[in-house]
Amino acid sequence: MSTPGSFSFELRNRLSELETLCVKMESVGQALGLSRRCLFEVNLALDELFTNIISYGFQDQSEHAIRVHVSADQDRLTVVLEDDGVAFNPVARIPLDLPCALDECRVGGLGIHLVKNLMDEVTYERRGGTNVLTLKKSIDKS
Amino acid sequence: MDIVELKEGGVNTFKLRGRLDSNTSQSFEKQLLEAISDGARNVIIDFKELDYISSAGLRVILKATKTIKRQDGKLMLCAMQDYVKEVFEIAGFDSFLPIVPTLEDAFKAF
Repeated sequence: MSTPGSFSFELRNRLSELETLCVKMESVGQALGLSRRCLFEVNLALDELFTNIISYGFQDQSEHAIRVHVSADQDRLTVVLEDDGVAFNPVARIPLDLPCALDECRVGGLGIHLVKNLMDEVTYERRGGTNVLTLKKSIDKS
Repeated sequence: MDIVELKEGGVNTFKLRGRLDSNTSQSFEKQLLEAISDGARNVIIDFKELDYISSAGLRVILKATKTIKRQDGKLMLCAMQDYVKEVFEIAGFDSFLPIVPTLEDAFKAF
């Protein structure tokens, strides 16, 4: 259920759902009057986390739901991402050593590096059998 | 994502339109690496109509840059929208990838 200023939707564990994520976030962005840059950044953070979850989170072949909740109060956006995959805390990853030279540049962990830089706050919790990632970001309106 | 590949005066230009993410990066990587293995040594990627890039897209650019460098070739990136460029900056890729403002600037680099 979505209340004013609060939106929820579910994605399946398929890469093609990135398209759905983009479409859903476009309408959330419009409803909240987010600037294009802000929407781009939130979209990118969610894309990276979602791609991680569906690439490494599930060890069976079954379909899983990844739930997304977006809420806004005053000048802050809160996005919560929930999945029932294996316990994984992306926040605990060792930060990348940047900038690097072309030959030494590592690509592992790049997605999480982007998430941490685009959001003001990223927290991880394991609740029962669920991974809960909470992202916070100051809203910059269009 | 749409990819238009043009060959002009010994330069291969890839014009990207849409979104370069985990969904679209594989086919772009294949096309780009194939062009390099077919002999392309001066390559431009035109970002003018690209609205979105994720780390999956950055990986393709990194891999292609390393591959073409081993062949003594050069890859130029041009015409990025501000927030696409910001992704390269956060990743630290702007320190070693040649990113120029316009397609004309990219051509001049060869």
